[in-house]
Amino acid sequence: MNKRAGIGFYIFLVVFVFFVMFPFIWVFLTSIKPPGEIFNNFNWFTADPSLASYENAITNRPLFRYMWNSFVVSTLTTLIAIGFASVAAYALTRLPIRFKGVILGIILAASMFPQIAIISPIYNFVTAVGLRNSYMGLVIPYITVSLPLAIWILATFFQKIPWELEESAKLDGASPFQTFRKIIFPLAAPGVFTTGILVFIAAWNEYLFALTINTSDEWRTVPVGISFYQSQFTIPWGDISAATVLVTIPIVILVLIFQRRIVAGLTSGSVKE
Amino acid sequence: MKLWNKKVAGATVLTMSLLLAACSGDDESTDTGNNDAGSDTGGDDGATEEQEQVTITYAAGVDVTGATDKLIEEFEAQNPNIDVEYREMPADTGASHDQYVTMFSSQDASIDVFDADVIWPAEFAQGQYALELDRFIEADGINMDDYFPGTVASGQFNGRQYAMPKFTDAGLLYYRTDIVETPPTTWDELMTMAAELQGEAGTEFGYLMQANQYEGMVTNAIEFIASHGGQVVDENNEVVVNSPETIAGIQTMIDIVNSDFVPSNILSFQETETNNAWVGGQAVFARNWPYMQSTSADEEASEVAGNVGFATLPEGDAGSAATLGGWMTMINRYSENQEAAWEFVKFMTGAEGQTISAVEGGRAPTIEALYEETEVQEAATLFANEQFVETLQNAVPRPVTPIYPRISDIMQVQLSRALAGEITAEEAAANMQEEMEAAMAE
Amino acid sequence: MKFQLNEKQLGYAMVAPALILVILVTLWPVAQSFYNSLFDYRLNDPSRSERFLSSNMDLERYANDYFYLSRDLEALEGQAPDPDDAAAVAEISQEFEAYHAELLEMDGLAEQYEEVEGMIASFTAIADRDLKYASVENDWAEGFKAFLDDASEQLTTISQNTENEEFSVTAGNVAGSLDSVNTAVIESNFIGFDNYQRYLTDGRMWQSMGNTMLFTIVSVFAELVLGLMIALLINRAFVGRGIVRASVLIPWAIPTAVAAMMWGFLYDGQTGIVAHYFEQFGLIDDASVLLSTGAGGMFSVIFADVWKTTPYMALLLLAGLQTIPGSLYEAAEVDGAGKMQQFWKITLPLLKSSILVALLFRTLDAFRVFDLIFVLTGGGPANATESISIYAYITLFSQSNFGAGSVLSVIVFISVAIISTLFIKFIGSDLFAGKTGR
Repeated sequence: MNKRAGIGFYIFLVVFVFFVMFPFIWVFLTSIKPPGEIFNNFNWFTADPSLASYENAITNRPLFRYMWNSFVVSTLTTLIAIGFASVAAYALTRLPIRFKGVILGIILAASMFPQIAIISPIYNFVTAVGLRNSYMGLVIPYITVSLPLAIWILATFFQKIPWELEESAKLDGASPFQTFRKIIFPLAAPGVFTTGILVFIAAWNEYLFALTINTSDEWRTVPVGISFYQSQFTIPWGDISAATVLVTIPIVILVLIFQRRIVAGLTSGSVKE
Repeated sequence: MKLWNKKVAGATVLTMSLLLAACSGDDESTDTGNNDAGSDTGGDDGATEEQEQVTITYAAGVDVTGATDKLIEEFEAQNPNIDVEYREMPADTGASHDQYVTMFSSQDASIDVFDADVIWPAEFAQGQYALELDRFIEADGINMDDYFPGTVASGQFNGRQYAMPKFTDAGLLYYRTDIVETPPTTWDELMTMAAELQGEAGTEFGYLMQANQYEGMVTNAIEFIASHGGQVVDENNEVVVNSPETIAGIQTMIDIVNSDFVPSNILSFQETETNNAWVGGQAVFARNWPYMQSTSADEEASEVAGNVGFATLPEGDAGSAATLGGWMTMINRYSENQEAAWEFVKFMTGAEGQTISAVEGGRAPTIEALYEETEVQEAATLFANEQFVETLQNAVPRPVTPIYPRISDIMQVQLSRALAGEITAEEAAANMQEEMEAAMAE
Repeated sequence: MKFQLNEKQLGYAMVAPALILVILVTLWPVAQSFYNSLFDYRLNDPSRSERFLSSNMDLERYANDYFYLSRDLEALEGQAPDPDDAAAVAEISQEFEAYHAELLEMDGLAEQYEEVEGMIASFTAIADRDLKYASVENDWAEGFKAFLDDASEQLTTISQNTENEEFSVTAGNVAGSLDSVNTAVIESNFIGFDNYQRYLTDGRMWQSMGNTMLFTIVSVFAELVLGLMIALLINRAFVGRGIVRASVLIPWAIPTAVAAMMWGFLYDGQTGIVAHYFEQFGLIDDASVLLSTGAGGMFSVIFADVWKTTPYMALLLLAGLQTIPGSLYEAAEVDGAGKMQQFWKITLPLLKSSILVALLFRTLDAFRVFDLIFVLTGGGPANATESISIYAYITLFSQSNFGAGSVLSVIVFISVAIISTLFIKFIGSDLFAGKTGR
């Protein structure tokens, strides 16, 4: 809305982003320090930057394998969860079905129980269907855990799309499914992409299920993998910092690509069409 | 008290009769059961060709020393029919414990052999997660008297052996040889010296220990309590924590934690913090496990290399006490390859395996005779030290009970409150007594 | 397109996959937890490691013990130096065999027992619960247990009173075996709401509940305010907006387990840079208070959570802002409304459902907080940061007490359900209004 931002705004922005980013910046600075300098001083910069920690981070553990696993699991989770959630949310907001409140309530109830308490049953379930140490073994619980959030967010978005658009589509002879695909889904793009990013990162971040279900090193995801850098009495901060920086880069790129979509969508869409 | 003895005795008879059956039965049971694994007890010779290839999975915490890989390599070379797959578990002991509970409670057979902290065997035995090893021990003629008695006792439950000692640990007092000439022998001396010497040679603190609310704090507390003659649970499984001796021990701990010569954030200190501050040259004295000897000596990361000595922990009214640490090896009760699993356990915890652990991983053997071997003595300066071996031999075990996690939790909560000054040592002891009795009676 | 669903059927079909998945993977375990919470159910205690509504016999244990006990009793009788003792032992032995015979006469038990015996002989652990446990009548179990108690007591007395040392030792051992058999007879561990009563009056439960409330209220409120500010900020058009959006999201992209470790490093009283600057700027007296005092610990946990989760809130609200048509603001501007007025009159009301969803899900998550606290403080110092989920976790996994742990989980569930209902009621939601309402 504001066409022009002043210099003051940019100064504020820089300071603000600096504060938000500070812990991450510090982690980055730690990752390029030689091991002896990490503790015992508060110097920001080292005189002797080294990439040794990065080398350790990728040679001591299969970090890229972890990243790939996390990437596959998170992508599958996001695609399937958005697929299920968007049709469900559409039906709940746009189609004449009964018990909407009850259904939304049941779905919400699924995220009211402490996750730690359903680990054992889920572990048994995943074991029973033979999915331990596989991508699907994580994707199924992750989808389920992210469905309530996804359905609720999407429902709020679908709710706001003017009925008129849908009515006119119907007059043109479109089936409900076509209406959904051609009109609703694109118009709700900010909601869909926001949900997508949230679900993706939630799956990327999850620790406890991943630790319990995928116990073999080749199936481990990033959070679990990073926790395996430490041994019983020592925490190699340099390596962990380097690994943290490395795994954050793809997420930043991903967000850079998808955040554009958050702005498009409804408002601009309704005007254009 | 009577009841307890009776139970143990009953179980012993039972075990013995079981063994009898195992040894005197038909051919199948002489071979100790499992046909498909079917390795002979010698385990290393010609008869192996006809045997089926089996793969067993061995779960153990992250090992950065390479000792685990070496153990597996050596074992596979000697037992060509057995492949060992190494499954890494979290380095954090609590996290591993919880993962084992999840797996075993669903009768998971995907792990055959696993490493267990010395405090787990009773719990895992009672929960029917682990296999009794007596028949194997008997069949292979392993003499449990070769091992340090404390480590063997930690692996027993109701008279049966559920775990084999793999390596041992005990708390030590580290001191800076460039500051201190003779290390203190009593807690009082330690306090005086730490207060006096704090600040010398660039140090900030007199003493470092582990006082964060976690299992490590319990090990520290046991040392204070035992060195003053106190006990938590006695040999008859009675809670005896509310005694003047225990209170004196806790009081000493409180005094040290609240003194000026420890870091002001001592309540967030675990081993890692202790080690970081120590190798940074920040302290005169520190309590830690034997591993800190090698991290201190690492010239690249340590500022105190060459200036570190160690001694037994200071004495209280009843002498010096070090808490028994270390790890055991157990077999999953639901393992489908018990024979092969036992071969691996036998190898790892036997003289050869323990020598590899000592040489490659710097871990203290549980077999006393190994400390006479030059190979072991050369592995770490500690192992050649008689005082160290004596400390290990006399290390005080934590209460051996299937509800140990509960006992530990009660201690952590009450001691934490006492150290933070919320309650007195007397109140802490009384609360612990009451809560532990209630927990035992449940 | 021959088979055409009507709108209603299509609607159900579209909801079904999500609903089935949620029920199967989450709600079914939740229902199981409710059921577990009614039992004294502990994995580390063989007599309580299953949920039994009636009495059962652990055949594996029993068969193992029976063989030796029956033999030892006979031997003991022969050993007895005193005829009275011999008679007593004989009576015990007879009665024991009678109970054994009764057991085997029960429906289908003889075959089951035989199978179990075979597996024990070959040292195979019995994983099949249906094989391992046999349901027995409550009265019978009670009678058998009473007999075993009694017999064990008798033998103990005999063992103590006899002069013959060898006989005394054997008698004591047999008494021990009788006790061992006793643990194989499992009575129902159904306790109904006893555990609820116990934990609802448990000081530690209320303390952790208080901690959780404090954590939830403060962190969610801070996140909402900051998140809204950030959302409004990055909703503006300016050069480099993409980069700012991405960088603001970074905290949320760092896995909680890693972020918590990282904050532990930053808060450390000796080497932590954040603790160091807080001390330098006079925010705290001493760098050490952050992790070693109760208040410091709580502050640290909340601060780290706000840092990590505000972006999530901001992103949700940003998406909500997108749904507000720009034309509304233009119209308001024409009417001469100021920026603040626009915010209160347009932005906030139209953002209501987004705020509800964001607030609702953040509260649900915050109330169940686990990873962050577990890694950062472990609940310490002196339980000052222990959340109810951590208490439940310790009870469940460290202490293997699944009954009590389930009770704590159910308490969390109920609390969260109440909070959600209140939210939906007070903030209101047009979500539940549907097409039917038009």
